[in-house]
Amino acid sequence: MSRADGPTLAELQRRFFELVTGPEDVAKELVTRGLSEGAVADIIAGDARASAVERLDVYANMYFFRILDVLREDYPKLLAVVGDDAFHDLATDYLQAHPSRHPSLRFVGAALPTFVATRARERPWLGALAALEWARVDVFDRADAAPLTRDALATAAPEDFAALPLVPVPASALVPATWNIEEIWRALEDGRAYDPPTAPAAPGHAILIWRRGVTVHHRAVASAERRALELLLGHTTFGALCAALGDEVDSEEEAAARAVEFLGHWLADELLAAPE
Amino acid sequence: MIEVPAIGHGIGLRTEHYADVLATNPPVDWFEVISDNFMEPGGNPRRVLRAVRERWPVVLHGVSLSLGAVDPLNERYLDALDALAREVEPAIISDHLCWGSHGGAYAHDLLPLPFTEEALAHTSTRVLRVQDRLKRQILVENVSSYVAFTQSTMPEHEFLAALAARTDCGLLLDVNNVFVSAHNHAFDARAYLDAIPVGRVGQFHLAGHSQAGALLLDTHDHPVRDEVWDLYAHAVARFGAVPTLIEWDDKLPSLARVVEESQRAKKVAREVTRVAR
Repeated sequence: MSRADGPTLAELQRRFFELVTGPEDVAKELVTRGLSEGAVADIIAGDARASAVERLDVYANMYFFRILDVLREDYPKLLAVVGDDAFHDLATDYLQAHPSRHPSLRFVGAALPTFVATRARERPWLGALAALEWARVDVFDRADAAPLTRDALATAAPEDFAALPLVPVPASALVPATWNIEEIWRALEDGRAYDPPTAPAAPGHAILIWRRGVTVHHRAVASAERRALELLLGHTTFGALCAALGDEVDSEEEAAARAVEFLGHWLADELLAAPE
Repeated sequence: MIEVPAIGHGIGLRTEHYADVLATNPPVDWFEVISDNFMEPGGNPRRVLRAVRERWPVVLHGVSLSLGAVDPLNERYLDALDALAREVEPAIISDHLCWGSHGGAYAHDLLPLPFTEEALAHTSTRVLRVQDRLKRQILVENVSSYVAFTQSTMPEHEFLAALAARTDCGLLLDVNNVFVSAHNHAFDARAYLDAIPVGRVGQFHLAGHSQAGALLLDTHDHPVRDEVWDLYAHAVARFGAVPTLIEWDDKLPSLARVVEESQRAKKVAREVTRVAR
């Protein structure tokens, strides 16, 4: 065995981590940092079969390609649009800006939609597409809950209806979408050609994402339902929903009718959770 | 010394096999789950795990305790592991002799430690803290490595034996990792096993590896190689038929194929222990 001196454990881990997680291979990373190969040979033993730098490169490659694989799985549509090479470069830059801050790889791509949105100036809708993909990943992992059924709702007495709690299933999310990307998502899912959007979506446009059983669904929602869904996702009551909708229509009856209409959609979607 | 549950031969519970496992009741003795993938209390993974746990013993194997990192121990991760363990009541909890984060950033890899007194003292403190928090012994696994540090003052087996002695933890001997590291660092794999104290080993791992240039990589994407089966027989002869896991994570074949590999391990262990008797 060798000597006991050398860098402290903290210094060794810092040097190792920086070289392994840099944007380039270890040899180029050393040049970028103004270091000689000696900076690696000083801490790592090479031999005739593989030099110290080559050995450290094994870790650099595993670091990048392991995360790249996860990003490719989480963002298949974004990958299909930009292509392998551009996605590779995007992942390289993304990891420099957003190194993984969670022990689970599951969260490594969380900031990619925002990152894409700031970069894709020629295709500003790419950020919205990525946001939809991430929301679908996120909703897939959320907790299960039994859905509220029409039959269960029918047992509620009319006088109790106003106080009826409306609770969404935990596996649901509403993502504001400044671009209409559902068509592109669907075309990519079906392997069809698509026309990129040329103008932003109408104000208030959003996408509802939720899970039924093990299948994640999403659909576009217009601004009226969006406001109702925002209330629902914050947990509400039927009475509060009617009151909020009353601000937008002429009569209480009309507000109640609209609330009943939304309730019908949500029951059919299995978006509402049964009381525990 | 450690208590070794006599649970036999298991395989990993992997997403691709969820439906098959629940539908076919495969002939395996237990399932291993990667703790990190089951920490969200709701959702599909935890539901499948509950269903599996009703039928089989389960062992929890983690990849993120980062026992050798200088970064502070992630107490939230430890809390989540403790909560998972209380629900699953696993036969074994294990993680690796490695580090994986620096400055709060994660490499999502099992990075090797220098085998120095400083690293030993540091890792021992953290293993003790984890065992104290979980109120049980854990097993610490040897990782495959591609670098050796110039400042190491002892071989890996000596480091592991000392860690076990200082913390009263058990060891998870990954036989494939011993083989891979022995090749990469030109040491004798059997001598390594012979230097690990009997009575400390609570589980074996077996997996496939691949060749990359002059080095071997621990890729978990192949059947167990013949040389590793031989080394496994050597390990069983020394440590007894402790619980053995087949790890297969990439290029995952059918559930039946993984089960077949587990049955081969059982056969090897049975033959070795029969001869020994």
